[in-house]
Amino acid sequence: MTARRLLPLVLALCLLLAGCGARENSAAFYAMSTYMTIRAWDADDALLRRAEETVAELEQRLSVTREDSELAVLNRTGTVRLSADGAALLRRALALCAATDGALDLSVYPVVRAWGFTTQDYRVPDAAELDALLARVDYTRVTLEDDGTVTVPAGMELDLGAVAKGWAGDRLAQLLRDGGVTSAILSLGGNVQTVGARPDGDAWNVAVRDPSGEGMLGVVRAADEAVVTSGGYERYFVDDAGVVRWHIMDPATGYPARSGLVSVTVVGAEGVVCDALSTALFVMGAERAEDYWRAHRDFECLLVTEDGALLLTPGLAARFTPADGLSYEVRVIADA
Amino acid sequence: MTKRLTRAALLTALALILFTVEAQLPRPIPIPGARLGLANIITVYAMFRLGPRDTLGILLARVFLGAVFAGAMMTLLFSLSGGLLCYAAMLVLRRILTDRQIWVCGVLGAVCHGLGQMLAALAVYRTAGLLAYLPALLLSCMAAGLFTGLCAQFLVARLKNAKGLSL
Amino acid sequence: MLKTKTWVAALVALAAVLAVLALALRHARAPGTVVEVVQDGVVLRTIDLARVTEAYSFTVTSADGGSNVVLVEPGRIRVSSADCPDQICVQRGWLSDQAAPVVCLPHRLALRLRGETAADAVAG
Repeated sequence: MTARRLLPLVLALCLLLAGCGARENSAAFYAMSTYMTIRAWDADDALLRRAEETVAELEQRLSVTREDSELAVLNRTGTVRLSADGAALLRRALALCAATDGALDLSVYPVVRAWGFTTQDYRVPDAAELDALLARVDYTRVTLEDDGTVTVPAGMELDLGAVAKGWAGDRLAQLLRDGGVTSAILSLGGNVQTVGARPDGDAWNVAVRDPSGEGMLGVVRAADEAVVTSGGYERYFVDDAGVVRWHIMDPATGYPARSGLVSVTVVGAEGVVCDALSTALFVMGAERAEDYWRAHRDFECLLVTEDGALLLTPGLAARFTPADGLSYEVRVIADA
Repeated sequence: MTKRLTRAALLTALALILFTVEAQLPRPIPIPGARLGLANIITVYAMFRLGPRDTLGILLARVFLGAVFAGAMMTLLFSLSGGLLCYAAMLVLRRILTDRQIWVCGVLGAVCHGLGQMLAALAVYRTAGLLAYLPALLLSCMAAGLFTGLCAQFLVARLKNAKGLSL
Repeated sequence: MLKTKTWVAALVALAAVLAVLALALRHARAPGTVVEVVQDGVVLRTIDLARVTEAYSFTVTSADGGSNVVLVEPGRIRVSSADCPDQICVQRGWLSDQAAPVVCLPHRLALRLRGETAADAVAG
């Protein structure tokens, strides 16, 4: 008799216990012109709110489109003293411009604007206009002092759009780690940042979008790293002549980069590096990208070419599962 | 004849009541298709006390009318699929089980019901991923089937000798 | 006629096998079918696609007057039309088993799957 009465109590206890253990918390918000989500385990609401505030603050300080941001002041007046965080980001970004030999160039912003990508008022600039604009594109003429003062020559304007989301991802990952989180996955508008592995120990499954259609190329298993994809398909327009023009510019020519690649995915420890390289490698094209990888090897990448090939670095090939019925030809990049 | 019809109609009504009441309750387990299946108490009882033909009539009537009352014709396909497979299993089991083993019929009948629903779902949604739910689904069916089977067994035992109540 | 003992043994064995399989397949569970329709961070509707029996549509109006028409069918959902300038939300097509939500940025609307999905996040 007593046993029967205890049964519901036991059942209730079981249910309660099932709820214990690592708890998932999540947040979703709009920032940096995109949709961002955070899924973190053992993170309280306050921590996630702080994460959202961090991104908002970053955007406020460093967005080229915000009138009162540090960057906007720089572009208007030619010089500004950056905050510590802003200076740190600019330093890393300039170093990456140098490392990629200008394939990434923060000063290509006026060109991007001329094509209409900032206002959605799309147009094809003529050769003369582009030549004039290209004269203002040269990251090597940017000076950054130790105290954070940055100066640009007249007419030059900088944009951190190619590295901002990656940087934000790194900052948030650090914030979460400092807050005691050992398992989290962030999606910042297509930039994926992970903290640790999944709560059950398996690596995170990060799908990579297929540039040609609705599906996915496959799944990358990642832990404690960033996965960033750049592709022309993200933002483009078709001009009057029927030519597809996308937002990733070749700083050398002033035209959308047509190097034979349609999408580049970079996997590495730092979001800012992955973000920068995903743009730079896209501009470089497959051959130069492969050389770059061989020279540095501190990241993995996946390149999708215009003629239907999927090129993977050996390290990535080991942890990439192609989607069912994938129509691309998968090739592993040669080691030497 | 009338007695038989009345009896079947009464049991159908009971099954419908159980079905509708259960539909109002929140789902206990987040596995698609997992339910208590209280109406099956009637089906199992009927199989052991009335015979296969009447049971089939009660089952079909309950499934169709239940779908009409719930206002969802899609569930008809799933209910029918599960119900018929369950019925087929019970046809065999009623011959090899004793009155004290009716609970076994409840368990295995429920398992077949779940199997039937999964087959229908696979045909409709065409996602192989649904199969990953099958073991968990069947496990919950076994638990639910045990409960409903025991209820049916209890009913059979109690009503067998009840005077004036020839259900 | 089998003994009750035999039946008990057989069913316990079956339950054990199923339990092992269920645990093993824990991760392989098919993508969740519950979709949340979110606007400005507020969950407007929660729809279980697996329980949808007939197709239906509804319109979501944003605070500034923009509208999106959401089409719900058994097992899938999409934005069938919208009056936003870029139409990205309409071009995305069906949200059924992808890890990335269908988003209309101008109207701050998102259709997203709740719970486990095949991938944890989508890059690109």
